[in-house]
Amino acid sequence: MVANLTLIQDILQFIGAFVSLSIAYVSYRGVKQTESTSLLRLTTAFLFLGLGFLVEAVVGASYYYPQLATLTTTVVVSGLMLETTGYFFLAFSHAIDVMISRKLGYALLVFPVITLSAGELSNILSILSFFFVLYGVVETLFAYARNKNPDTLLIAGGLALIGVGTFVQWLSLLYFQVDLLSLVQIIIKEIGLMVLFIPVLNFAVGGKRPNVPV
Amino acid sequence: MSQYRTQVRIIADVLTTARDMNTEGAGVGITTLLRKGNMSYTRMTKLLSELVGAGLLLEMNSDKISKYMISDKGIQFLGAYHNFEKFASSFGLRL
Repeated sequence: MVANLTLIQDILQFIGAFVSLSIAYVSYRGVKQTESTSLLRLTTAFLFLGLGFLVEAVVGASYYYPQLATLTTTVVVSGLMLETTGYFFLAFSHAIDVMISRKLGYALLVFPVITLSAGELSNILSILSFFFVLYGVVETLFAYARNKNPDTLLIAGGLALIGVGTFVQWLSLLYFQVDLLSLVQIIIKEIGLMVLFIPVLNFAVGGKRPNVPV
Repeated sequence: MSQYRTQVRIIADVLTTARDMNTEGAGVGITTLLRKGNMSYTRMTKLLSELVGAGLLLEMNSDKISKYMISDKGIQFLGAYHNFEKFASSFGLRL
């Protein structure tokens, strides 16, 4: 039973990595062609998310390769850090209004590493991810109110599902004996990513032809 | 609420003006570009020399007056810009 759950989670993590890295690739094409900083932040966000999913897939693989097990705690925290960084850049794409002084910023970076246990750090990273995604959802909904673009509503829906996924992920860290929670969180996140991927699909392979009257 | 224009947006606006206002095929003068581009003369001349250097605009000199015409590369840039503008807009972002 546990082996099956781990295998399903692993497959889902790889799908998540593929979807995230595809979105990062499409954004990167935009960066190359337009040198837009908004798209650069979007590329960075999905690159980190994709890497986070890949690292979490490695954690899952440790079930089958016990020699990887010694690395697991470090790798779990690294995966969560990558993921949280991805969500931060996703929120940052909307230009976070909160200003953090440079000194406080460095302190925030160093403080958790030196004073917190891996479990506490995982909890903090998960809840931070949740707040970053929540910020992204609110900003995207505001953007939808302005542009009435149905794709924007889809993205907001996708982000909301990812937000629910990160919340369940946090719960799964609190109640780690419940295996089902970690499967549920990854399933919800995957559905969210798929919803995000729908508008991106138009650009994914070959890209839309420019429809500008020239 | 007014929103500031990003550099890429300003470039797209200048290229669009150079494309749309070139009705006689002789290029567009800097006065027209200034009027439509809503920026200072100094900033516009600097931007125009950058766009010509990048091959997005063609500069034509006649009677000591410079006129500007969008190049094929400029048209491709505008196509990509509008394409990725839609992409960014899906995420609620502006280019």
